[in-house]
Parts: sequence; C-alpha cells; structure tokens
Amino acid sequence: MGEFIGLTIAGLSLGAIYAIAASGLVVTYTTSGVFNFAHGAVGMIMAFVYWQLRVQDHWSAPAALGLSLLVIAPAIGLLLEAVLIRRLNVNDTGMTLIVTVAVMVALMGVAFTIWPPTIGRLLPQFFGPNGHVSIDGELISYEELISIGLAVATALGLRLFFHNTRIGVAMRGVVDDRQLMAMNGRSPQFLNALSWMIGAAFGALAGILTASTYTLDVLTLTLLVLNSFAAAMLGRLRNLPLTFLGAIVLGLANAYMTGYLRLTGWLVELRPVLPTLFLFIVLVALPAVRLRAGTAAVSKAIRVPGARASLVNGAVLVAVAAIAAPFIHGIALGNVNEGAALGIGALSIVLLSGYGGQMSLAQYAFFGLGAWLFGETGHGGNPLGLLAAAGAGAVLGALVALPALRLRRLEFALSTLAFGTLAWYMFLSQPQIIGLGDVNIPRLHLPGLSLQNDRVNLVFLAVVFALLSAGVLAIRRSRYGRILIAARDSEAACATLGLNLRLTKILLFALASAIATFGGAIYGSTQLIVTSNDFQYVSSLFIVLIVYVWGISTPGGALAGGMSLALAPLVEAHVPARFQALTYFFTGLGALTILTHPEGVIPLITERLRLLNPLAAYRSRQTRQVRVANEQLLTTVEVRRATPADA
Amino acid sequence: MPLLQTREVTVRFGGVTALQSVSLSADPGTVTGLIGPNGAGKTTLFNVITGLQAPAAGRVLMDGQDVTDLPVHRRARLGMARTFQRLELFGSLTVEENVRTAADIRQLWSRDRADVARMTDAVIARVGLRQYAHSPAHTLPTGLARLTELARALATAPRLLLLDEPGSGLDGAESEEFGRLLGALAAEGTAVLLVEHDMDLVMQACSQIHVLDFGVHLTSGTPDEIRADSRVQRAYLGEADAVPTGARA
Repeated sequence: MGEFIGLTIAGLSLGAIYAIAASGLVVTYTTSGVFNFAHGAVGMIMAFVYWQLRVQDHWSAPAALGLSLLVIAPAIGLLLEAVLIRRLNVNDTGMTLIVTVAVMVALMGVAFTIWPPTIGRLLPQFFGPNGHVSIDGELISYEELISIGLAVATALGLRLFFHNTRIGVAMRGVVDDRQLMAMNGRSPQFLNALSWMIGAAFGALAGILTASTYTLDVLTLTLLVLNSFAAAMLGRLRNLPLTFLGAIVLGLANAYMTGYLRLTGWLVELRPVLPTLFLFIVLVALPAVRLRAGTAAVSKAIRVPGARASLVNGAVLVAVAAIAAPFIHGIALGNVNEGAALGIGALSIVLLSGYGGQMSLAQYAFFGLGAWLFGETGHGGNPLGLLAAAGAGAVLGALVALPALRLRRLEFALSTLAFGTLAWYMFLSQPQIIGLGDVNIPRLHLPGLSLQNDRVNLVFLAVVFALLSAGVLAIRRSRYGRILIAARDSEAACATLGLNLRLTKILLFALASAIATFGGAIYGSTQLIVTSNDFQYVSSLFIVLIVYVWGISTPGGALAGGMSLALAPLVEAHVPARFQALTYFFTGLGALTILTHPEGVIPLITERLRLLNPLAAYRSRQTRQVRVANEQLLTTVEVRRATPADA
Repeated sequence: MPLLQTREVTVRFGGVTALQSVSLSADPGTVTGLIGPNGAGKTTLFNVITGLQAPAAGRVLMDGQDVTDLPVHRRARLGMARTFQRLELFGSLTVEENVRTAADIRQLWSRDRADVARMTDAVIARVGLRQYAHSPAHTLPTGLARLTELARALATAPRLLLLDEPGSGLDGAESEEFGRLLGALAAEGTAVLLVEHDMDLVMQACSQIHVLDFGVHLTSGTPDEIRADSRVQRAYLGEADAVPTGARA
C-alpha cells in the first residue's frame, strides 16, 4: 500500500508540473492563437536564472522565486509578444511554428553559453534534504506536495480568472474575433501581451519545479514543452480542465510504469516516449476537425523556373561541383558530401511545406529509415536499394498521414513530431536496427561508375540533386502543383470546388516521404557509417527551420539548408569552445529574418538580382503602379459610395 | 422541384442560436436574394448549405437528395459553388491560375473533358477580368478579388451558385453590370442564392427574396413585397425608426 501511495504522489507531482507547464501553453494559444514552441525553453532559461540567483548569488528562495516568476519571466513573455508574436499572421501555421522554434533554438544557445553543460549544477530543494513526510513508510518530499498544491492553485486561479474577471473573459474572446473585441474597447494586443506574460510565468514555474525535483538540464527542460503539449492536446490546446486531466493521467502512468512494470528489450524505451505516445494516441483519436472559412493565409508568390531554366540551373550546379571538388580536402570534403545528401532529403520539405503548406517535424526519422533500408537492401551498393527505400518511405508516409490528416495543420505538425520521436526511440535507436553503435552502409555502386572517391560522389550528388530538383519544380508547375498551392492558401475554398483534400494530402505526404527516405539512403551511402544519433528527432526541427530561412519554396533552400547543417561544425571548430554554442543563438536569431522575408533568403537574392535587368525592373515598376492605381480607385469608389450626398 | 432546400435548419454556437428553424429554397433559373442585418445568420446558412458548418438540427436537400451528412467536396460535386464573405482566394496564384485551378479540380471529378485553358479564358472574359488575368490575386482590390472568386466558382460549371456579398467593392456601374451577369447566369438555368447588402443590386437581380433577422426567417416574397414589408423595415431600421408600409416611396 505504501508503495502505491508513494507512486501515486510521485505521479501526481509529475502530472502537476506538466499541468502547470501546459496551462501556460493553453493560455497563450487560446488568446494569441500562436503555439509557443519555445515555452519549455523559457522555463529552462528561468530555471537557470533561478539557480543563478539562489545558488550563485545566495538569494533566499522566496526572493529568487519572486523575481523570477513575477518580474523576469513576464518580462520575457512581454518582449517575445511585442517584438515577434504580434507581427505574425496566426493563420500561417508554418510561420508561427518556425518563429517560436527559432526562439527556442536561440534560448538554448544563450543557456549553453552562459551556463556551459560541462559544469554540473544542482538546484537545492526548497526545504533541504530532510524536507519530507512519511506515509505508510514511503517518504514523500515537500517538493512533490508543493507541486501538487501549486497545480491545484493554478487550476482554481485560472478558472476564476477566465470566468469571473472581465479581462479573463476578454482573453477568451479575443482569439475568436479580434476586431469585435477591439470594437468593444479591449485592446487585442494588450490581451495578447498579458497572455504571453502569464504563459511565461507558468513556464518558469514548471521549469523551476522540474529543476528542483528532477534535473537542471538544458535539453530536458526545453523539451518539457513536448510533455506539456501532450497533456494540452487532450483539450485541443483550449480546454484547461481536460489539459489538467491529461497531465495527471500522464504523470500517474509514468509513475506506475516505473514502479510496477519490469520492461525489457525495446519496451524499455516506453517510459521516455510515454508523453509522445500519449500525444500520438490523443491526436489520432481526436475527432476530425471541420473545415473553416476565414483562415486563408496569403503567401507571397515566388517565381517558378520553367523546365529549361531548371535544367540549366541544374547543369550549372553540377559544373560548379565538378570544378570545386578537386579543391576541397580533408574533413571539409566529407562535410560537403553530407550537406549535399541532406539537401537531397530536404527537397521533401520544399514539396511538403513549401508547396503543400504542411509542416512535417519528422524528416530525420525518414532519413534514418532510408539509410537503414539501403543498408539492408542495397547489398554491394545496389541502386535498387534506393528504390526500396523510396517505396517504403512512400507507403509509411501515406500511413502516417492517414489518421493525422483529420487534424488542423498545427496538430498535424505536432503529430509528425510525435511520430519522429517514437520512431527514434522505438525503432532507429534499437540495436537490431541502427542503435547507438556504428552501422556500416555500402557506397552506392552504379554500373560502370565507381563512387568510392568522395569527389566523384560529390559530383554524383550534384547530378541527383539537380534531377530531383527539376522533378520537384515540374510537380510545382503541373496541375497537381497548382492544386497544392491552392490548398495551401485556402483548404476551404478548394473543398468547395470539389477537391478531396485527404487524397491530395496523402499523395503529397507519400511523395515527400519517398524523397526523404531516398535522401536518407543517399545520406547513408555517402556517410558509409551511421549511428542513430545521426537521425535524432530534434534535428528534424533544425532542418525545417534552416530550410525555411533559406527558402521553403525553392530547391535552392533545401540545398543551402543541408549545407548549413553539415558545414556548421567546420565553423564551430574555429570558435573558442566557450562560445561554440552561440551558433545556436545566431541560428535562432538569423531565422527570425523570415518575419520580414517569409519567402526566404534565396528567393530574396534571386529577385534582387533579377531586378538588375532593366527590362525586369521596368515590368516590376509597372505592376506596382497598376496595383497602387487599383487601390486608389477602390478608395475613391468607397469614399464616393459612403458620401451621403451621393446616396 | 427546387434545386436547393433547407428544412428547419438550426445552428447554435454555445448558448447563442445563430439560426432557428430556417427553411428556404432556390429554384433553377432564378436569382434568390437572402438579406438581413449584420449577424442575421446569412453566412452561417451558406456554411451549412456547403457543409462548412454542421447544423444542430434540420436538413439540406439538393435535387431532393439529403446532403446534410455529405462532406464539403461531395456537395460541390453535385453542382454547388460559392464565394466567401471573407475572401478565400488562392493569394499566391494569379487570377488566371485561380480560375484554371478550379477548372482543373472540376476535371478531376467530372467526366467533362472540356479544354481547361479555353474554359478558363471564357470565364475570365465573362466576368471582365481579362486585363487582370496575370495579376497575383493577393494584389487585387476587393471588388476585383470578389469577381475572381466568382470566376473561380463559375469554372466548376455550377448548377447552384452561392454568392456572399459579391457586390462590395463594386461601384454603381459595375454593380449594374454585375446584376446583368447574374440575370444571364439565371437565364442559363443556374440557381443563384445571393447574400448582399447593396439593396439596389438585390432588387434589380432577384425574383424572390428571403429575409433573416437574428437567425429567424422573417419573411419572403418578391422585391416589391419585401420593400413594402414593415417587419423588414423594422429589422433594418429598428423599432423606433420603422416607417409604416408605403410611407417611403
């Protein structure tokens, strides 16, 4: 009985932390419509700030808590909202996710730099090592009881706030109709800012409790967001009681699993993936959402090269690779090869996210699957192994998409992240698949052409990238490509024209997954040795972020993204160890350029270069003048119609 | 038989009743108006008809067939097309691509193998957008954007056309021209259901008008009957300002 009580209290305590963190997510999402991927990262930073105050600067616990929770955390929330969030179009799910992922990455860089992970840090318990009570022989720490008490207080406080205060009711209403709220005298921006301040404070509280009860670790605390949104998804990110229920179920399941189940073999991984498994099940079991009008997201049109231009661009790329290859030596040659292989896989992101508007946060799972399959089926470098990988990827992609397609874009993106996490723990990291040790993958062998030389391989990768890019661009120019863009801009309009969105998306996901696994197979063939750590699920966030920054709708963005990831270690090698983590910070900071240039860096540069041509510049000016004239005409007409004398 | 019928349609948003037992119909070859003050439930009814909103009660019939439980795209394939009060253009495509995509989508589900390019050109010319065909849709002013939505709907060769405030953004002459276009569509056998605040356009184009107020079907009749109905005047002007029938000529 004592063990059961102990486990229950431990489960409730963990669930309480999840509940507090998830409350912050729900508050910000319900009010601002933006899912904060950086929620865990804010909590992480605040846990370190608290450690700094409490341990390094010897502040008392109440003073350190007061400053952290009531001043610094809300200030961070306010800053994020004022500088970034209010500039986002909440209907653009991709953009909102990417911006908050960028913040997450930047905050990780800050933490790694200020508090290097090489130094161990412990946060003292609030009541010291003897702060516990004994129930039926089981020691229950005050920390655990405090967490439970705080979660109950949070639940009651939020209930009162949202239902019994005018400002709380306004916060619930603002996401439904911002204009209506503004007309009623409430500033939506103020309400948004308030929600981000409250959300950050809850994130901070959850971070400090986690650090105090469990561990003070950058990655663990940052990824607390995954556990908390697993709980929040039970209430579809809007319902606080269901969020609390989800959190408690998760906490208890974790504790009972730890206490009662003796897991062996691959089932050992069930515990760390429990929140993700829970999230995946919740997402799949959620009722299908009905399409909504009024959520059209306008993306800037990006010039699509014609068939001839894309082949010429490809030929130039191959020529550059052939000319440059002899001049690349040593480790750099391996990194450039790796970047090209990643670029091939990243073309899947261009198709899926750039054209289709769907966010997949599981691309590395497909890369890993492709590498493993090529190792298993491409004996002696048999090219048929590439086809096997692509075929399996297409089938798996369609299967993963099948249940998840009933979800909103955000939910779909999160479900792919859950899938990626599960795939890593339960599949790729298993010793019989790839595992943590080295696995040899054969170099691709083409009849009459040896690719054993890395320089030859690099030119071959350029050819593959050029051909696959031309294929992706051909899809974009096709009828299917136009339909993808149309569905990205307005699913509701497409459905009212008779389009079966599910079939369209399944085909999209199957195609993109085929490219990703094909790219993974090429990656494996290029690297020759892989471990499961090469396909860490967190990397999926990074590659989407980087490709987005370079240009999510252009193959050049995929190549630049792959190269950036592969070449970053070369840059880091020249930076003093103390500041190496600043690459995270600058990556995150640089990624925020998509706020001003959502089309990405490469299309921006291409357009600027195009305008150097006087004829193109003239046409661009003409188009702009026509647009301005149209707007002036419209204004004149509206003013005339609104004038009583004309009535 | 009417092409479209709604029977006792009720929609509730939480505690608010947006539509209360609304029944109306639209016949082939006619333009039917659906008017009412802001918040009367007109767009909600459009959403119910096209499947974007599930009714709490009531049925929607197309050609006598109950389509209430059909998904949005299956209803479209029965010949329903619509425009939106809040624009739902494919903003990153040009006007021509918007229309062509609609024709492409139609070709995916219909047996009609008509030349998509020719059909696209014809529809664009018909609504008067030829000179804007290559303009990106997100750069268009409201009036032209609404015409683009109309052209996109027409590219699916609909039998039932639901137009949600298509006249906003059009000037007087354009509005008259638009009324003539609606008449021509009706003459070809299309059933048009028109939500519009421009009363001149409604009175010019519609042969039958339904009036909604606070989610309730207030009345229906010919333009003259609606113009003279004191309940309609009260709905629009408020009780105190209501003018007895016939006083406003």
